[in-house]
Amino acid sequence: MRLPCPYCGDRDAQEFSYRGDAGPRRPEGEDGLFDYVYLRDNPAGPIRELWYHANGCRNWIVVTRDTRTHEVHGSSLARESGA
Amino acid sequence: MAEHLIHSEQEGWALATVMARRAVGPAAVGAALELELRDEPVAVSNGAIRAIGTGPGAWLVIDTEPDHGFADALQDRLEGLASVSDQSSGYAVFRLSGAGARTALQRGAAIDFHPDVFAPGSVATTAIAHIGAIVWQVDDSPTYDVAVFRSLSGSFRHWLEETAAAL
Amino acid sequence: MRYSVFSLSANALSGHRRWKRVWRDAEPAEAYDVVIVGGGGHGLATAHYLARNHGITNVAVIEKGWIGGGNAGRNTTIIRSNYGLPGNEPFYEWSMKLWEGLEQDLNYNVMVSQRGIVNLYHSDAQRDAYARRGNAMRLHGVDAELLSSDDVRKLAPFLDFESARFPIMGGLYQGRAGTARHDAVVWGYARAASQRGVDIIQNCEVTGFVQDSAGAIVGVETTRGAIRAGKVGLAVAGNSSRVAALAGLRLPIESHVLQAFVSEGLKPVIPGVITFGAGHFYISQSDKGGLVFGGDIDGYNSYAQRGNLPVVEDVCEGGMAVMPMIGRARILRSWGGIMDMSMDGSPIIDASPLPGLYLNAGWCYGGFKATPASGWCFAHLLATDRSHETATAFRLDRFESGHLIDEKGAGAQPNLH
Ligand SMILES: Cc1cc2nc3c(=O)[nH]c(=O)nc-3n(C[C@H](O)[C@H](O)[C@H](O)COP(=O)(O)OP(=O)(O)OC[C@H]3O[C@@H](n4cnc5c(N)ncnc54)[C@H](O)[C@@H]3O)c2cc1C
Ligand SMILES: [Zn+2]
Repeated sequence: MRLPCPYCGDRDAQEFSYRGDAGPRRPEGEDGLFDYVYLRDNPAGPIRELWYHANGCRNWIVVTRDTRTHEVHGSSLARESGA
Repeated sequence: MAEHLIHSEQEGWALATVMARRAVGPAAVGAALELELRDEPVAVSNGAIRAIGTGPGAWLVIDTEPDHGFADALQDRLEGLASVSDQSSGYAVFRLSGAGARTALQRGAAIDFHPDVFAPGSVATTAIAHIGAIVWQVDDSPTYDVAVFRSLSGSFRHWLEETAAAL
Repeated sequence: MRYSVFSLSANALSGHRRWKRVWRDAEPAEAYDVVIVGGGGHGLATAHYLARNHGITNVAVIEKGWIGGGNAGRNTTIIRSNYGLPGNEPFYEWSMKLWEGLEQDLNYNVMVSQRGIVNLYHSDAQRDAYARRGNAMRLHGVDAELLSSDDVRKLAPFLDFESARFPIMGGLYQGRAGTARHDAVVWGYARAASQRGVDIIQNCEVTGFVQDSAGAIVGVETTRGAIRAGKVGLAVAGNSSRVAALAGLRLPIESHVLQAFVSEGLKPVIPGVITFGAGHFYISQSDKGGLVFGGDIDGYNSYAQRGNLPVVEDVCEGGMAVMPMIGRARILRSWGGIMDMSMDGSPIIDASPLPGLYLNAGWCYGGFKATPASGWCFAHLLATDRSHETATAFRLDRFESGHLIDEKGAGAQPNLH
């Protein structure tokens, strides 16, 4: 599996480490904190997810990938996509 | 045929990482350094210093014939624009050249070094034999420079020698 | 039919061509007392124990593919009860006890082989951690032994003891651990459940739930029509989030892919199960002679049942580091299965927030060994609405109440468990 880093180009997934679903937002207060920390949609299909390009440009990127096929649909820098 | 790969370690270079502050673009950093900087994995030079693009707003800046206080001088020029940290002892830089240089790199890194996609001036921050490495092509003889953390340079040299012997 | 010396010899004389399928492939009826979704080891064991322990036989096990086509047929067959935390250890030991009597209970040879497991340690700190785990096991009445480097040498002389980076200093040994034949476990439970009247329905995917006006779950929608049920139990392993979502539930689970590998058949070379302590690698030898080994999960969400090359490299490097002779063996096959990785690395056997719906999920990469106790405890929950005494910690609300069972101490990051 190769992931398209917006800066470095296509790179082997081995260069990245995985954080998971980019969707959950940390809530301001305690309300919703349990959901944020523990609950996941865990979709079978496209997911927007956070990867860290550790052995590359050292940026967090958001990759859109289909969990059923591992097909990658695109990526952006996390800070630019507001993740 | 080991003679096809010539490798040596660069001595006496000064290196520093330059990271742009939030909302400061590459043009502003470049203007302060008299370099045409872009947010792309390319190497640019103005004759005096060279900047290797390692990430958006991040460069490895190199002076191959440095004066004393290279990083401090850089910091003065980039005041308010970017953070500078001296890496002269942090990184070791290896030079690979000769007909076997491309093949050797190809055996260590999972990226394409074919001249159509990786030419003089191209840069890749990647891993070679699991060792984090910044690779840039110097000329099309071809010659490459590879910067690795100095604490891993022993392992890198080991990989280089093994690879050269097996070419 | 019961298996006996006579049935075996009679079939041997006719060239073993007369064996028939040992369970009924049923058509769905309109309604059941209990519908279990998922025909893996856990679902089938649950059906068996519902019938055997609680007399509940009006039960269907609904499987979208064929039974044992999921993780039950993809795992590396290791059974053990060497856990450290009080929430886990009594449950896995209960499972081990059930394994020890399973063949008699099922009248089926599931090839339980208590050939022992050794978890190698390579540093003082790791020895301390294993000593602590061994002590915890013994406090629960479970066999555990801390081996020295010389003890391990007697057991497995072919390991690389003198590696400069990862010298083998010893290991934690559980002699009662071992392996079982995974497919036989599926067929054995299917046969036993079927004989007691359970309907096993294959090629039938659950696509939704039937709810009454109060919101309680009273049946399932399937690709073969609606089936009403007094209670519905989910045992769909890596698909738990997907199926629970059909009822509007979000679970503390991510699905991840785990790969496994088998070599060409070799003469017996490995005595039991060996796990490397300085990398992700574990290995045993199947009765057919193949070296069965694996390592870490790939680490990203997946439903694809196949993994990628970095883990292949990592596993092979781990193998070469601890057991250099493996470099001479050729890999015959590799495959992947989808793990229901929970947020603390431990399972959930509990009622769901929806009346009528029960969950058996979060087994991560360790649910094969749990198969008998998981079935036993899930059946107990379905029949009595109370947790079995060995499974009281596996609550769904523990994430909210802070009573996590985190063996690795990795926190809410499923790919690190
Ligand atoms: C490579 C690998 C190695 C492993 N090694 C070990 C090991 O050595 N020791 C150990 O203890 N554990 C191990 N495990 C984990 C273990 O295999 C699982 O935790 C366990 O098998 C899960 O329970 P199960 O057998 O019921 O799952 P499964 O066999 O996966 O059963 C779930 C079933 O649900 C069905 N299903 C899903 N969705 C639906 C639907 N909508 N409708 C109807 N049916 C549905 C699936 O088709 C599947 O057959 C390993 C797993 C893998 C993948
Ligand atoms: Zn990158």
